[in-house]
Amino acid sequence: MLSIFSYEFMRRAFLTGILLAVIVPCIGLVVVLKRLSMIGDALSHTALAGVALGLVLGINPVLGAMGACIVSAFGIEAIRKRLKFSETSIAIIMSAGIGLAGVLSDFARGANFNSFLFGSIVAISSFETLIATIVSVMVMLAFILLYKELFYISLDERGARLAGVPVKAVNFIFTMLTAVTVSIASRTVGALIVSSLMVVPVACAMQLGRSFKQTLVFSVAFSVFFMVAGLFVSYYAGLKPGGTIALLGVASFCLVSVAKSVFTKILRLRRQEANG
Amino acid sequence: MRKIALVLAVLAMLAMLAGCQGKAAGAGEEVQAADKKLSVIASFYAMEDFAKKIGGDLAEVKNIVPPGVEPHDWEPAAKDIAALEEADVFVYNGAEMEHWVEDIEESLSTGKLVSVEASKGIEIIVHEEHEEDEHEDEEEHEEEEEGHDHGGVDPHVWLSPALVKTELRNIADGYIKADPDNASVYNQNYDKWAAECDALDQEFKDALAPLPNRDVIVAHEAFAYLCASYGLNQEPIEGLSADSEPTPSRVAEIIDFAKEHEIKVVFFEELASPKVSESIAEAIGASTDILSTLEGLSEEQEAAGDDYFSIMRQNLQSLVKALG
Repeated sequence: MLSIFSYEFMRRAFLTGILLAVIVPCIGLVVVLKRLSMIGDALSHTALAGVALGLVLGINPVLGAMGACIVSAFGIEAIRKRLKFSETSIAIIMSAGIGLAGVLSDFARGANFNSFLFGSIVAISSFETLIATIVSVMVMLAFILLYKELFYISLDERGARLAGVPVKAVNFIFTMLTAVTVSIASRTVGALIVSSLMVVPVACAMQLGRSFKQTLVFSVAFSVFFMVAGLFVSYYAGLKPGGTIALLGVASFCLVSVAKSVFTKILRLRRQEANG
Repeated sequence: MRKIALVLAVLAMLAMLAGCQGKAAGAGEEVQAADKKLSVIASFYAMEDFAKKIGGDLAEVKNIVPPGVEPHDWEPAAKDIAALEEADVFVYNGAEMEHWVEDIEESLSTGKLVSVEASKGIEIIVHEEHEEDEHEDEEEHEEEEEGHDHGGVDPHVWLSPALVKTELRNIADGYIKADPDNASVYNQNYDKWAAECDALDQEFKDALAPLPNRDVIVAHEAFAYLCASYGLNQEPIEGLSADSEPTPSRVAEIIDFAKEHEIKVVFFEELASPKVSESIAEAIGASTDILSTLEGLSEEQEAAGDDYFSIMRQNLQSLVKALG
């Protein structure tokens, strides 16, 4: 067998994978701080309803999926403000999406839903690479330009409003970007990779980072590491890429947690020794 | 005390409801019995078509898997079991194509249903495990039944016209058991369509024998019987069950294989995702084409009045184009 980079599909997997590994945890950090960790999962599943609706109405199912993602992301935003527990809004929208998909699936025929929804990182077309690149550039630009605003809003939404941040506009842009990223990325590399990279690297980074900025940088670093290592391992060990990347992330999270608690204990002991 | 009384009342009402339903089902059966046509349920498209061909005007055949649904993934709902309760004949392929059949047969209460395992008597191919994995679930079933712990039983016998004759015979025998009065009709239908199978078999032999290339890349490992009958070699991207994510090393192997054998066409099936096939085709500069597994019909195929034989002829044309 030739080496890993001699294949166009592997080069494409690395290129697209790394781009998405950079932007997904950026969105993920804001999402986690807003207590909406499950949004990636919810959006990629409510996209099912969009696919079904697209098939019933004769619209391109991929466009349908993106539309459903946008509608449900705004749905989550709207309900979130009305409820005390923001994660409930995700459960409600997810029920609505999967329920609608279930009912519509009887009317939409002639297609396997999953094939429209969930891509695989080893089967990325050149068109998908292009789209993923465009989305990545959009998200990165938005993060650079709106960094301060997003930082305020994700830590203290009310405080940000009082400080004069245009919360509504920023939230609108962010929700839109989340929906587009999730729908494009899960179609390109698979829903599992998207929903795990949205939360797991952030969870790892939160144990180490001391500021918003540090946590953001660590999240991206972890995420790119999971992607690259996951692709190497899955290639040479013959494992499913999506599952490998997700498991690698969770294993790293466990490692980081254990290392951190051991480290803090040692620190405390030393301090006690120094004091005593 | 009052709470207990309430619970008892609710239970009593439930019991009455259950009783009513029992009666309703009984009434349904009587109507069925009065109807002259045999009520037949088939497990997926190829079985439906075979059952229709043998039953002719004497049978009303319904496909239990909705059109457009990949049968490997399908599982019966309550209403499907209810439909089976009222049917006379149930035609399924067997050889582990329908993993739900065993469970259903145990749960059916009526003794009148004649179940036909169409693949009975056909020598089933068991694949060596050469792809990592695929369907652990199904393999567990195998372990229970036969003590196999690797490889997979290949159910796709209906893709070889020569073997379809045996399936038609089994189905005809099932019909005769359920409706002995019309045995001669079923036998006549069998003779007619068995001759069609022979003709189709001959067409495949004549068309494929002179072609120089013998290797086809297919989306899932469904064409072993077809390939065995006509001296072809299938190189499947995925294992026996369709539509799961391939490993990167498998994709790399396929690309190497395709380059080495100068493959011109990568085949996929209408019910599974063409994404992986398309990206492999793009990588090696090949085109993609459909090779139907006859597991379900698309809307267009249904509208065009296609059946087993017309779709198999389309398959043959695609193969000739790819290998010529």
